[in-house]
Amino acid sequence: MRESRNGSLILDSRVRGNDANRAPSAHAIPARTHAMNFAIEDSPQQSAFRAEVRAWLEKNSPPGIEHSADPCDMTLAQYQIRRSLGRGLGEMGWLYPTLPRQYGGGDLDAEKTVILYDEMARIGLSLPPYYDAGGRMGAPTILVWGTEEQKKRFLPPICRGQVRTWQLLTEPAAGSDLAGIKTTAIRDGDAYVVNGQKVFVGSSHGADQSWAIVVTDPKGERHKNLSWLMIPMDLPGISVAPMDLLATGGEGGSGSGVKNTVFFDNVRVPADHLVGGENNGWKVATTHLEMEHGGAGRLADRRVVYEFLDFCRKPLDGHAIADDPDARAELVEMFIEAEITRLFALRNHWLSHTGQPRSYEGSQYSLRRKLSGLDIAERMLRIAGPRVLTKDERWGPLKGTVEYFQRDAITSLHPGATTDIQRVIMARRIGVGRREREKAGTVR
Amino acid sequence: MDLSLDDTQQLIQESARDFVRNACNRDALLKLDRNPAETMTMLWPKLAELGWSGMAIPEQYGGTGNSLTDVAVLFEELGTGPVPGPLFSSAVLGAHILLEAATDAQKQAWLPAVASGEKVLALALTEAQYGWSPEQVRMAARQDGSSLTVSGTKVMVHDALHATDLLVPVRVDGGSAHSLLRVDAKAKGVSIRALDGFLTAVCEVVFDNVRVSKDDIVGEPGTAWAPMQRALLRAVPVLCAYKVGGCRAVFDMSVEYSRERSQFGQAIGRFQRVQDHVIHIVNYLDSARWTTYEALYKLDSGLDAASSVHVAKSVASESYMRACDFAHEVHAGIGVVREYGLTLHTKMSRTLYHCLGGPKAHRRQLERALKLC
Ligand SMILES: Cc1cc2nc3c(=O)[nH]c(=O)nc-3n(C[C@H](O)[C@H](O)[C@H](O)COP(=O)(O)OP(=O)(O)OC[C@H]3O[C@@H](n4cnc5c(N)ncnc54)[C@H](O)[C@@H]3O)c2cc1C
Repeated sequence: MRESRNGSLILDSRVRGNDANRAPSAHAIPARTHAMNFAIEDSPQQSAFRAEVRAWLEKNSPPGIEHSADPCDMTLAQYQIRRSLGRGLGEMGWLYPTLPRQYGGGDLDAEKTVILYDEMARIGLSLPPYYDAGGRMGAPTILVWGTEEQKKRFLPPICRGQVRTWQLLTEPAAGSDLAGIKTTAIRDGDAYVVNGQKVFVGSSHGADQSWAIVVTDPKGERHKNLSWLMIPMDLPGISVAPMDLLATGGEGGSGSGVKNTVFFDNVRVPADHLVGGENNGWKVATTHLEMEHGGAGRLADRRVVYEFLDFCRKPLDGHAIADDPDARAELVEMFIEAEITRLFALRNHWLSHTGQPRSYEGSQYSLRRKLSGLDIAERMLRIAGPRVLTKDERWGPLKGTVEYFQRDAITSLHPGATTDIQRVIMARRIGVGRREREKAGTVR
Repeated sequence: MDLSLDDTQQLIQESARDFVRNACNRDALLKLDRNPAETMTMLWPKLAELGWSGMAIPEQYGGTGNSLTDVAVLFEELGTGPVPGPLFSSAVLGAHILLEAATDAQKQAWLPAVASGEKVLALALTEAQYGWSPEQVRMAARQDGSSLTVSGTKVMVHDALHATDLLVPVRVDGGSAHSLLRVDAKAKGVSIRALDGFLTAVCEVVFDNVRVSKDDIVGEPGTAWAPMQRALLRAVPVLCAYKVGGCRAVFDMSVEYSRERSQFGQAIGRFQRVQDHVIHIVNYLDSARWTTYEALYKLDSGLDAASSVHVAKSVASESYMRACDFAHEVHAGIGVVREYGLTLHTKMSRTLYHCLGGPKAHRRQLERALKLC
């Protein structure tokens, strides 16, 4: 049975690649530069790849690339540095390492991809080093649903880091109920005319294109009236206004920065920007959402936990937080939380990049990440006291990273579907109360 | 057995509700949140005028000598805002510390000004090695002829930025006993800095060779800890009541939103998962409320209240934070939009989580109160 086998999958979550001639151990190896480092043991070939990546990053990460604790603080200059690193990574095929080389990806296997993420994390960044939801989720979706011509047109600029995209799903009246959106895109000659409003979308410093779900048949039946459009953001009639949120999701160098409201006022989008066929948008959505719900995993996450353990070991005023047995017990619980989440993510990465069937695993990871995030944040507050609430230079732990995590853990309960919705999806996929199990969305 | 409010308490409740509705509506609170310094110009004179800064102070020292439960009724309403400002720090905690620790001459000299709102007190107790127990309070004061010299740092001090006078426990000449000093917040060598982040009006206070006259040693030198603990025991349930108010506001918001917001063609409150979140909130609210009320009742009746106070504080701290968590689950996206107002509570619930000791600290004290150790 799939579900029972799953338990052993978790424990045995080593990643098997083509060039691995021995099963790598999932144990932590001793530190390289940090006190804590959780890498999968490399084969000689993988070590060579790791060395190559590290050398490349050393040479090509420009000064000033460090991420701000709160992504909203990222300046335009810092953002441009990230974009230039992104273009460099794109040239190597490392920005979207698992996508096919012919479309600008790297065709890398699951293990090498882990190494890439790992090395990016070592310098405090993630892949891509800036918010690119339309690339992270949109690109694999275009791969499944686009025509050959569209793949050739849309994918290489994304994979090479030339184009950054936002995903525009949510609307004021439609969050969980994504099929209830109201933004229309009505065919008029060689264009779709878009009108409506999206909320909680995007990031700081604009986007080149936006990957949006729209209503193409206002009178059509639910789920059969929607389409996916790639919208160039420089078209007339688009306006963007920032929102003021508690936090914006995405710790550690992948954060989006500001979330926005986007208005469309008679925006004419070329008709050949519609992906997956008119009124076929719900099917396209299942692929996109599978990615968003964690179907492909999310590597090198939760660095803040390992850094926090370090912080608690260090004496301050002759006393380390970890001297206290109660604090130690909490730290251990926190570590366990982070480990489970990390392994769920690694499992999903492995399942997705070795083309194996999945069912509830995407949502399981997402749910776990959301709930454990909040749990970890609150443990930090219990363990280290009110200091975790300040980003003050003198008193705020880890340069304000922990303070951001306190806000982010609450905020992150919502993006990419709430905890409730993830539970609903899991139950349907498992087949709770129904014979028919809902299928997972196709992902490459 | 009668668990209802008496007439005075109902009056207090009504006027406090009025105040929150008018002077502290959401727009005003959002404005203060962006600009905490305005609290003292926008709110403080009104609070003083209503007589609230004198409620916990006996008539002989210029107050109205209300019961703790009366005071708590007020604070529960203020918590629904949540109304920020040093009313608790000064008029409840600070006032009680003076009542328990100060000489009668000092009470005569200082308390009327606290009651009228002219003096604003803040307790600067916690230090780098954060904690509320005596061994964690180590800052030293040096005897210096007829005065004392104080150097060191207090951190995570609530409301210091609003204070005119700081109450500062120190150890004289490195001894083990604590003395309590009254220090003018504007004295030479005192610098106060609000800490930035996910917290409200919490400060670092640095003392750099600050000279304090012997007259400003509160009560007898070296004997401050016990009276301070008695004061804390009385003040804590009032702070808990404020958190009860916070839980109530968050509960009301969530119930209302569960009716208003619809997804999939129905009110979200019809989804059992959303109902579950709301049920969590109401359970937290009532746990905080009844543990708090019992502690207040015992204190006002002169009964031994220690165990009830510790229960109340550990329950209320946890409850307010968790109630906010579940309110966020109910609201999803809109809840993290600052303008909506829920995050004012989220932030306050964290700010107050450890104030006067976190749940763990109070559980430890409960172990002692229950004679388990
Ligand atoms: C920081 C942040 C970043 C975001 N980024 C993006 C982005 O880049 N692009 C984008 O398009 N959107 C984005 N979003 C929007 C996000 O996807 C939505 O907030 C989310 O899907 C929830 O929708 P909602 O906020 O409208 O909540 P609602 O759908 O109104 O939900 C309210 C409550 O009802 C519950 N509920 C609803 N339906 C059901 C059901 N069927 N069964 C049980 N419970 C139910 C929910 O779980 C929740 O508790 C972001 C949101 C945040 C907060």
